[in-house]
Amino acid sequence: MFAVERMNILKSYLRERGKLDVHSISQLLGVSEVTIRRDLEKLEAEGFLTRHHGGALLRSEEEGEGPPAVIAPEEAQDEADREEIARVAALMIRDGDVVMIMNGRIARILARKLSVRSGVTVLTNDIHVALEVAAQAGNKAVLLGGSPDPESGALFGSLAQTNVQAFFVNKLFFEVDGIGEQLQLSVSSQEKAALIREALACSEDKIVLCEASRFSRQAFFRLGPLGLARKVVTNTSVPESYKSRIFAMDIQLYTSVNAFEGGD
Amino acid sequence: MAGAAAPLLELRSVGKYFSDDFSLRDISLELRAGEVHMLIGQNGSGKTALMDTVCGILRRDSGHILLEGEEVDFASVNEARGAGIVMQYQTAQLFDNLSVAENVYFGRAPVGGPFAATFDAYALREDCAALFARLDIPLAPEALVGGLGYGERQVVAVAQACTARARVFIFDEPSAGMAEPEREIVFNVVREIRSRGAGVFYITHKLDELRRIGDRATVLHAGRVAASLPDGSTGREELIHMMIGGTCPERYPRLRVDYGPQVLSVEHLSSGGVLEDVSFSLRKGEILGLTGLMGSGRTRLANCLFGQTRPSGGCVKVEGRVVDFRHPSEALRRGLALIPEDRDKNASFHNQDILQNMSVAALERFMGSYGLDMRYMEELTDEYISSLGIQPGHRSDIMRSYSGGNQQKVVVARWFMSLCRIFIMDEPTRGIDAAARIDIYNAMNDLVTKGAAIILISSDVEEILGMCDRILVLAGGRIACDLPRAEATSEKIIDYASG
Repeated sequence: MFAVERMNILKSYLRERGKLDVHSISQLLGVSEVTIRRDLEKLEAEGFLTRHHGGALLRSEEEGEGPPAVIAPEEAQDEADREEIARVAALMIRDGDVVMIMNGRIARILARKLSVRSGVTVLTNDIHVALEVAAQAGNKAVLLGGSPDPESGALFGSLAQTNVQAFFVNKLFFEVDGIGEQLQLSVSSQEKAALIREALACSEDKIVLCEASRFSRQAFFRLGPLGLARKVVTNTSVPESYKSRIFAMDIQLYTSVNAFEGGD
Repeated sequence: MAGAAAPLLELRSVGKYFSDDFSLRDISLELRAGEVHMLIGQNGSGKTALMDTVCGILRRDSGHILLEGEEVDFASVNEARGAGIVMQYQTAQLFDNLSVAENVYFGRAPVGGPFAATFDAYALREDCAALFARLDIPLAPEALVGGLGYGERQVVAVAQACTARARVFIFDEPSAGMAEPEREIVFNVVREIRSRGAGVFYITHKLDELRRIGDRATVLHAGRVAASLPDGSTGREELIHMMIGGTCPERYPRLRVDYGPQVLSVEHLSSGGVLEDVSFSLRKGEILGLTGLMGSGRTRLANCLFGQTRPSGGCVKVEGRVVDFRHPSEALRRGLALIPEDRDKNASFHNQDILQNMSVAALERFMGSYGLDMRYMEELTDEYISSLGIQPGHRSDIMRSYSGGNQQKVVVARWFMSLCRIFIMDEPTRGIDAAARIDIYNAMNDLVTKGAAIILISSDVEEILGMCDRILVLAGGRIACDLPRAEATSEKIIDYASG
């Protein structure tokens, strides 16, 4: 079902009953709870409702005291973009794959989406990713050692780098913080750059994940040219000039087109 | 032949920029009087573009073209024609409401008086009959062109070229889609022209023609000369290898999905001599590639499936049930969509806005009890514009102001919106820029990962290999092979397609 249609249903449901709960509406519409939550988030930003734990209340005229809590629009867009990138990346992972997922915000969403797979082994340096996958019945997580970074919950350092060398994976997913005009990959920390370099050497298929908003940007540490990877997953909104240049470089460019509503 | 004489036509380092993806680069070749110079190469290798620079359609950016030793630079086709260079196009431009003879001699009719209006109809028919007798053409000069089949029309077009008084003749795939007897006629025409001492450039995909009619050949690849062959002795395998050069099917973004049940099956389909005994099936989640030379029946097959042409034999099943569409609307109702080859002619409403272009096939969805729900229609259109990255992307923009690539995305969105499940895409990326191609390939992934199925018709072998799970090659209206992706190579596809 398409977001617009779903939102319309949610709106009319709320108008009729004044409140809804996420669990039952997700069963009713046959979509995941996270989808409903995302919709509610958008409707809240529009000022249509207020969210509370497990559901939402219609925002009545009387109740509307004070300005509605507004999420910075860029941040909301980035979050939506990450969600879409993770959706496409998850489609690249098949049952039984052995993959490495480097830490990051897309990585965590990607980890959640693996719950529909089975027999997947995920090697990661991200505590959140490891916990998420470990909780999935059919899949297995392996957490690299190293020194945890309290802010991101990721492990870096020489121990992590030595650990990586012990493995060989089918697919490596790594997030970058910038793809510059010259198609240079960059990340925000030196430890991250060093770990990705080690990981690149022990994987068959190398896949970069990067939000459209991070194109034409440079983070502080240079990782190397885009050609380090075989595939890039980003959003459809990436500028056309990047699309044609990446295609001309013989790198597969996946954009998160999510248009078709006739799905099952 | 006098070896010392200057060649009839000579190209020296001709270059022409088209886009970052494609240019003609440093092309040198020559054409001598009384010879047939074959040009071969894959689609998009630059054969037609190169000939366009010779006959005045395009102007070169660099290099020289010499006609009998004199530099020339034609500003128009008419100028080139005046200098004795004529080109015969792939698609025959004929007048349906005139007779065969009138078409053959159009613009050159024997004139009985001082005015064209009083042309000598009797002499015309007699001249045409004599010409046809000499060339073994079994057509009646007085027949109306409108009533002729595809191959016959091609014969008329070739005969038309033959009557031109020129020194250089350029034929662009004259035998495409022709059966053997018609090809013989084309060869007769070419031989006659050669015997007059004129030179012929002959573009072809049919490799046997090099040996049968060619005096020498040039292979083009990616806008450059890949090889010059002095005679017809080069082996078929070697030729194919030269045509392929370095194709790179690895750069195509393609998500693999698990196939579902069969959604479409075609059994022993035939259609008026164009298609014969065509059988194949399509599964949910699959992208089936369909390729073949021009005239191999690809487009006819698409039209038969979509209810535009009724097949003369065999049957089509959608989700296990036999269907017999009498009109595309019936196909649409069963979830079939056709994105046609010629977007300009068959799919775009040039003067309408994006909203109308996109929603026209899905109006039922917006029908409420109070008429069209415009708000919903607009919101949904906006969603598609953003999810397919359509630029500039306002729903009130007029279609014709968009680039080819963005127009194509609008047409694709139309069929997405109509919630079809089986998509037939006929050359969906021909003539559009790389960025739009990327979007369309990713849109195809979007379809198959959500349970739709696609038949991708394309003459771009790299694209077929890059995007498809299975590949059908049509040749002469029959399925020449049905290859799984893992077994398919450019060599095999070209080999099967070239007959």
